Amino acid sequence: MTALTVSESAASARTTTNNRLLAIVRLHFVSPMTTIVVPWMILGFIFLVNLAIWAIIFSSVTDAQDRNDAQEGLSWSGASFYIFVYMLFVAIQAINLTFPFAQGYGVTRRDFYVGTSIYFVLLSAMYAAGLTVLSLIEDATDGWGLGGHMFTSVYFGVGEWYVRFGLFFTIFAFFFFVGAAFAAVYVRWRANGMIALWAAITLLIVALIALVTLTDSWPAVGTWFVDTGVNGVILWSLLPTALAAITGFFVLRKATPRN
Amino acid sequence: MSAVVEVEGLTKKFGQLAAVDDATFSIEENLIYGLLGRNGAGKTTLMQLITGQDFLSAGSIRLFGENPVENSRALSSVCFVKESQKYPDDFKPKHVLKSAPWFFPNWDAEFAERLVDDFRLPVNRRIKKLSRGQLSAIGVIVGLASRAPLTFFDEPYLGLDAVARQIFYDRLLEDYAEHPRTVVLSTHLIDEVSNLLEQVIVIDDGKIIMDASADALRGSATTVAGSRAAVEAFTAGREILHSDRLGGLSSVTVGRLSPADRAAAEAAGLELAPVSLQQLIVRVTTSDRADTTTDWSSES
Repeated sequence: MTALTVSESAASARTTTNNRLLAIVRLHFVSPMTTIVVPWMILGFIFLVNLAIWAIIFSSVTDAQDRNDAQEGLSWSGASFYIFVYMLFVAIQAINLTFPFAQGYGVTRRDFYVGTSIYFVLLSAMYAAGLTVLSLIEDATDGWGLGGHMFTSVYFGVGEWYVRFGLFFTIFAFFFFVGAAFAAVYVRWRANGMIALWAAITLLIVALIALVTLTDSWPAVGTWFVDTGVNGVILWSLLPTALAAITGFFVLRKATPRN
Repeated sequence: MSAVVEVEGLTKKFGQLAAVDDATFSIEENLIYGLLGRNGAGKTTLMQLITGQDFLSAGSIRLFGENPVENSRALSSVCFVKESQKYPDDFKPKHVLKSAPWFFPNWDAEFAERLVDDFRLPVNRRIKKLSRGQLSAIGVIVGLASRAPLTFFDEPYLGLDAVARQIFYDRLLEDYAEHPRTVVLSTHLIDEVSNLLEQVIVIDDGKIIMDASADALRGSATTVAGSRAAVEAFTAGREILHSDRLGGLSSVTVGRLSPADRAAAEAAGLELAPVSLQQLIVRVTTSDRADTTTDWSSES
C-alpha cells in the first residue's frame, strides 16, 4: 500500500514536471509575432530587395564573363545574417522578460530553463529547415533565375541538405544559447554583472591575442582556420554553445528577478 | 486547520541590511490574510522568499510542508501576482489568458471572461500600451481566475480606480466563498480591505510586529478623549499606544477596554472612539519599539 502510494506520487510528480515543461514551451510560442512572423517578414523583405538588385545587375551586365564575375561576388552574401543576430535578441527577451513572468506562475528556474532550451532547439530546427529548403530552391533555380545568392553563400548553405540543415541549426543554437547566457547574467547581477562579464571577455580576448602574438602562432591560427574550413569552424562553435548553455543554467539557478 | 506556510526564524540580508529579520509565523489554510506594512518594510521580499523566488539567509520556510526553492510540486499550487509584474514584450492580455490555464489546473476561463468584462480590459491591445490600471487588472484577473490553493497579491491594484477596486474585493469574496483557498493580500490601503481580512500580519523594518486575527484587532484599541486631567487619570497604568495633547484636551489610544472600563470612562465624562485597523497599524508602525511589544494575539 505504502509502496503503491509512493510510486503513484512519484509518477504524478513526473507528470507534473512534464506538463510544466510542455507549458513553458507553449508559453514561448503563445505569441508568435516576434519570434516567427516578424523574422520571416523581414527575411522576405530582404529577399525582395535582393531580388531587385540581382535583376538590376543581371540586366545591366550583359557580357558573359562580367556576369560570371558579378555572380561570383554575389556568393559572398551576408543578406540572411541578420536572422541569426535577431535570434540572439529573442533569447535575451525570453530570459529577461518571460522568466520573471513565468516565476509568477510558480515555475521553477530549472523547469523554465529546460523548457526554454527545448524551445530554442525547436526554433533552431524550424529556422534551419526553412533556410535549408530556401537554399535548395536557390540552387535548383540557379539563384532564382538571376544567379543571386542569399541562402547559399560561401559561409553556409553548400553541400548536401543534411549538411546545410546541420550547419544552420548549429549557428542558430549558438546565438540562442549565448544570448540566453548573457541575459541570465543580467537577470542575476544586473548592470554590474554585464560590466564584469564584458571586462572578462575583453581581458580574455586581449590575453589570447597576446598569447598568439608572443608565440608567433598567427600562421598556425590561420592554417587551422583554413584546414578546418567554414563547416568545421561552425561545428566547433558547438563547444562555446554548450558552454553557454551550461553556464546559463547555473547562473539562472540562483537568480531572483528584481525591478 | 493546517498551515500552508510555516516560517521560522526567517532572515534575509542584503549586505548589512536585514530586509526580513527573524520572522516566525504561519499561514493557515483557507483564510484571507493581510500582509501589512509600510513601503520597504519587507513585504515583497517576504513573499518572494515564501514562493522560492528569493533565497533565505537564515531560518526555514515550509510551503505545503516542503522547501519552496526550486520545488515544482509545492510551487504548482501557488500564484504570485506582483504590482510590477513583467510581461513578455509582445504580449497582449489574450496571451496571458490563453497561457495561464497551462499553469493553473483550477483555472476558470468563464470566470476570467467575466472579470475581463468587469474590468473592461482590452484583451487585444499590447500590454506595453495599457494604462497602469489595466495592467493591474490583468494581474488581478490571473490571481482570481487561477484559483491557486495559495494566492499572493502584492499591491495588486496600483492605478485601479475605486470602482475597479470594489469589483476586485467583491469578486474575491464571492469566489472565495464558493472556492475556499488561502489568499495573502499585501497592501497599504488598509481601511479598504479591513473587512475582507480574517488574519493580519504586520511587518515593520523586516520584523513581524503583529500576527493576529482581524476580529481580535477590531476593538483591541480605543481612543479616549476628554480633559487632560480626566484622560490622564483614566489611562494611568494602562499601556498607551499613542497620545495627542492640545491645550487642556487630550486624546490617548489605549489597548482593549473591558465593559467596566468603558462604564468608568463614560462616568468620568470621557469620549470613547474605536480605532480603525489602519489607524492601529499607523500607530504601531510609527511609535517606539517599546510600545509595540504588546501581544495582540493574546486577546483572541
